[in-house]
Amino acid sequence: MKAIQVKQPGGPEAMELADLPVPQPKPNEAVAKLAAAGVNFIDVYFREGRYKAPLPLVLGQEGAGEVTAVGSEVRDLKVGDRVAWVGAFGSYAEYSAVPADRLVRIPDGVSDQQAAAAMLQGMTAHYLLYSTYPLKRGETTLIHAAAGGVGLLLTQMAHNIGARVIATVSTDEKAKLARAAGADDVILYTQSDFEIETRRLTGNKGVDVVYDSVGKTTFEKGLNVLRPRGMMVLFGGSSGAVPPYDLIGLAHKGSLYVTRPTLMNYTASREDLVAHSTAVFGMITSGKLKLRIDHTYPLAEAQRAHRELEGRKTTGKLLLIP
Amino acid sequence: MKAIRVERTGGPEVMQLVDLPVPEPKANEAVVRVAAAGVNSIDAQFREGVFKTPVPFVPGQEGAGVVTAIGSGVKCVKVGDRVAWSGTLGSYAEYVVGLAESKVPVPSSVSDEDAAAAMLQGLTAHYLCHDAYKLKPGDTALVHAAAGGVGLLVVQMAKSLGARVIGTVSSEEKASFAREAGADEVIVFTQTDFEAETKRLTGGKGVDVVYDGVGKATFAKGLNVLRSRGMLVLFGNSSGPVPPVDPVTLSEKGSLYMARTTLAHFTATRDELVARSGDVFSMIASGSLKPKIAKTYPLGDAAQAHRDLGARKLTGKLLLIP
Repeated sequence: MKAIQVKQPGGPEAMELADLPVPQPKPNEAVAKLAAAGVNFIDVYFREGRYKAPLPLVLGQEGAGEVTAVGSEVRDLKVGDRVAWVGAFGSYAEYSAVPADRLVRIPDGVSDQQAAAAMLQGMTAHYLLYSTYPLKRGETTLIHAAAGGVGLLLTQMAHNIGARVIATVSTDEKAKLARAAGADDVILYTQSDFEIETRRLTGNKGVDVVYDSVGKTTFEKGLNVLRPRGMMVLFGGSSGAVPPYDLIGLAHKGSLYVTRPTLMNYTASREDLVAHSTAVFGMITSGKLKLRIDHTYPLAEAQRAHRELEGRKTTGKLLLIP
Repeated sequence: MKAIRVERTGGPEVMQLVDLPVPEPKANEAVVRVAAAGVNSIDAQFREGVFKTPVPFVPGQEGAGVVTAIGSGVKCVKVGDRVAWSGTLGSYAEYVVGLAESKVPVPSSVSDEDAAAAMLQGLTAHYLCHDAYKLKPGDTALVHAAAGGVGLLVVQMAKSLGARVIGTVSSEEKASFAREAGADEVIVFTQTDFEAETKRLTGGKGVDVVYDGVGKATFAKGLNVLRSRGMLVLFGNSSGPVPPVDPVTLSEKGSLYMARTTLAHFTATRDELVARSGDVFSMIASGSLKPKIAKTYPLGDAAQAHRDLGARKLTGKLLLIP
């Protein structure tokens, strides 16, 4: 089979198209023929060696396809089932062996490409809004990078919950995307100070929760726009890591809460994985959640996909089609 | 009237018993004849000048008594009402004047001494267990300084909410107080590592919440004994301030939550203050919450009360009886 392999960490050119044997399932695994593989920043980090994994490595952690073989201990999957997953290496390939308890069935009404696009970003948006801080109708949330991959999904879901969404974006074009996704107010942080603007928009009351994947450049000001006893949900650091923080600031700013969640943790149990993925697939089927799949690449063009992802020229999800 | 006055900041001896005129209320104020005044470490910090207020001043922030005069604009209390309060400087006196809004009604089934003892510590325990992290039946809580003023009340409230309570204390004598209050397990942290012991007691699972008023000495290990997605509520730092925290620690240890709280944010409105204190008084009246009063002193012995408080030999609340 064809697969994208990294032998030595490095730039996009470190990814080589290789011929490898089709993997055989271990007793607890199933092998899927990939219809689509998600391209994510975490793949870049593993390619660069910033995150470590044994080499050579077939990149990619997210995908969707059809089961072609199951291990001897696998009971609830059979050949021909359509499945999706996130968090197992080897998705930049024609076939991938995945632990069966990490595979979720794709319902009719959700395409393979949609499923591959929804696993990481869709489930992330869902656990943040429904588990980490269960957002309620009538509450106000500030969503940073609202036109980003997770941001657009957060904005749609928060809007559907009935919350007021204040979104931050970097350009007018992205502001349009955020508005189309349901943001009530959009702040171009390159033109106005989001702290002042959020205070103004909330009549100085502050927001109930901030969803922050930007980190270094937004964290402290984000605390300043929370209502007393509000919550900062920090779930990424696209601008860099937040430096160590003196907790007394949380008391001075209003008995605030901070959490730093990860998708892995919120989908660690089979029960949680199925609950979040089922809910997201349901939203796709009913048309309440729209995925932007604007960029698909043949498997052999993984290098170009990474270059475009890193160049931040794309909006929406990038997929490789083996 | 008799009152304790601080002419210049310093040790316990700077508190002198003096004769002062009975205060008169401004339009939004009430004057109360003090039946019992709480002695708190914050009083010692004002006396020492750690917290600043113009001298001379009458120390004391907490008490209970009967309203003797009200200002022209006061609607929320009337002359003859039994009330309690915290946050009104000047309580070490026969009469104290302060904002009428800070006075809460005391039911006839609660004594002046219990009411005075419950305001700061009882309300703190209440917001910790009911709001900062809302305890549910079956939850497990780790309570540091479980034989301290707040600790003993947190243990009792957590038990009445159906939680399992693990308490940490410094001595065998304090362990027996924590057990009397209802702690299921007590760790004498001077003899046993509380991290290892808490993990053992929870079968490696960890606790749902840590209530930490100790700070520097306990914070980092407290994060290690939380279950995945558990919460550390830091509400004080009797051992010193916690050094700045790298937020990524929270994700590494399992998508944890952290809050740094103060009572003021949980009694921010008159409605909330009255509801919370009313709840605490009901618990006292029903016998489910027993404030532990270590010792009462005549007003003129305020200096001795501060010496005893500083020596940390007594377990429970110290009160001045004017």
